[in-house]
Amino acid sequence: MADALISFRDVALGYDSVPVLEGLTLDVHLGDFLALVGPNGCGKSTILKGMVGILEPLRGNIGRGMGERPVRFGYVPQRETIEMVFPLTVFEVALMGTYGRVGPGRFVAHAERERVRACLGDVGLADLQRKPFPALSGGQRQRVLIARALAAEPDLLLLDEPLSGIDLRAAQTIMELITKLHRNRGLTTVMVSHHLKALRECEAVQEVMWVYEGKLLRGPAATMLAPDIVFRMMDAEIG
Amino acid sequence: METLLEILNPHFLLRNALYGGLIIGIVAPLVGVFLLARRMVFLGVALPQVSTAGIAAAFIWHAFFHGHPDRDINDFAIALVGSSLLTFGVIVILALLERRKRGILEGRVAMLYAVAGAATILLVASDRITEIGILGLLKGEIIAIPDTELLILLLGYGAILAVLAVFHKELVLVTVDREMAISLGKHVVVWDLLLFGVIGVTISLGVLVVGPLVMFGFLIVPPMIAGRLALGMRNVSVMAAMLGAGVALVGFAAAYRLDWPTGPTDVALAGAVLAVVTAAQAVRFLMPRMAVK
Repeated sequence: MADALISFRDVALGYDSVPVLEGLTLDVHLGDFLALVGPNGCGKSTILKGMVGILEPLRGNIGRGMGERPVRFGYVPQRETIEMVFPLTVFEVALMGTYGRVGPGRFVAHAERERVRACLGDVGLADLQRKPFPALSGGQRQRVLIARALAAEPDLLLLDEPLSGIDLRAAQTIMELITKLHRNRGLTTVMVSHHLKALRECEAVQEVMWVYEGKLLRGPAATMLAPDIVFRMMDAEIG
Repeated sequence: METLLEILNPHFLLRNALYGGLIIGIVAPLVGVFLLARRMVFLGVALPQVSTAGIAAAFIWHAFFHGHPDRDINDFAIALVGSSLLTFGVIVILALLERRKRGILEGRVAMLYAVAGAATILLVASDRITEIGILGLLKGEIIAIPDTELLILLLGYGAILAVLAVFHKELVLVTVDREMAISLGKHVVVWDLLLFGVIGVTISLGVLVVGPLVMFGFLIVPPMIAGRLALGMRNVSVMAAMLGAGVALVGFAAAYRLDWPTGPTDVALAGAVLAVVTAAQAVRFLMPRMAVK
């Protein structure tokens, strides 16, 4: 498809040359909001890492591009992936989002710093920018990581389990934020989550893709999150 | 105060030793910040040991084929070649093994430390003259640094400082969040190699001047203190460099006054500062709780 930001063609993904998922074919188009769901360990995050380029395909081809220009990713990893021996401030964490645009050896300009402050404002954390990142609550940290992703001025926002390990209220705030970003900016979004209730209640989620026994099952959110499909998939997880 | 004024006099006899210590005291902690941030502290212990083994091997090799080198710039050059070759070789092998995710890094580094230590002792045991030189390094006796060696140290560490300043944001990014770096299109392998190169040059040059113990002390202790007092990588780096310089200056003055070996005095002083800061923070943490009870 011409407007595909990401296209997988018969892709195998895995670790240490051992495939976890094989024969993956999928597209992510401009303006999509796709949720990846499935049992623990089924490979949802592996697919997301394949999209970003953290994992290169063992076989097949992954296209990442918008014509001549490479896709700009706004990647929101699981919080545990950030190394925090020396605590960074909230602003420093968010500032990293600009490092893709600011070339090696160049300092981050004042305008870029202002943009980062605006991104922190967008996620409602403007007044916490001098706080140490590890001192924040789980939900606040997740919002900082979303601000960092926004600071990259992304074409595609990728979120890896943004609701894991946070309370219900914080999860609600994050889903509202993601919905607002998709609606107001038309930001293409792919989100990995196992919080089916939150996805069902989120009006922005257009499509859901189940990752189930190494296969992909994709369809409209209303259909794929219908009780019969969910029970079938959960049976598979329990069984 | 009198001692400080004496050692800061431009005509002070041991001024090069003071300048050398100061240069290492400023730059080594800046590199150590990355070692700590990447949880590679063990590498900071093992690599100076490897570097020392490289120096011993180079001296023995030279003595075997060409006789003992004169105590001049050739001496330093031979040691630098041996130290650099072995340090870089080990770093590259460790990086390749780490990339292939085979085995446990800590296990490899610990094994490396033991083997490099044993190899150094065995190598120097076979040659008396080399033994005397290496023992001086192991004790951290920073007494006389010739002008040329000081110049090489200044140029080498100046280059390290420039690399760290210019590429600070890239090195922080690959250290703090590797996956984010990839998502932003950064070539993490290139940045890793640059950082490992910086670590290699810092250690191989520093060990030649101050020995493995002092090198490790300057790499690790000032960043540990700074990490307790400052927030953010840049602030921690600046504070670690300032602490390193302060320790080098005060340590040198104390060693000169008390007639102690400079290196161990520096490390003991840095350790004492760390202990005081840790104790003060513990008191600050406990006081409000005790007041409530």
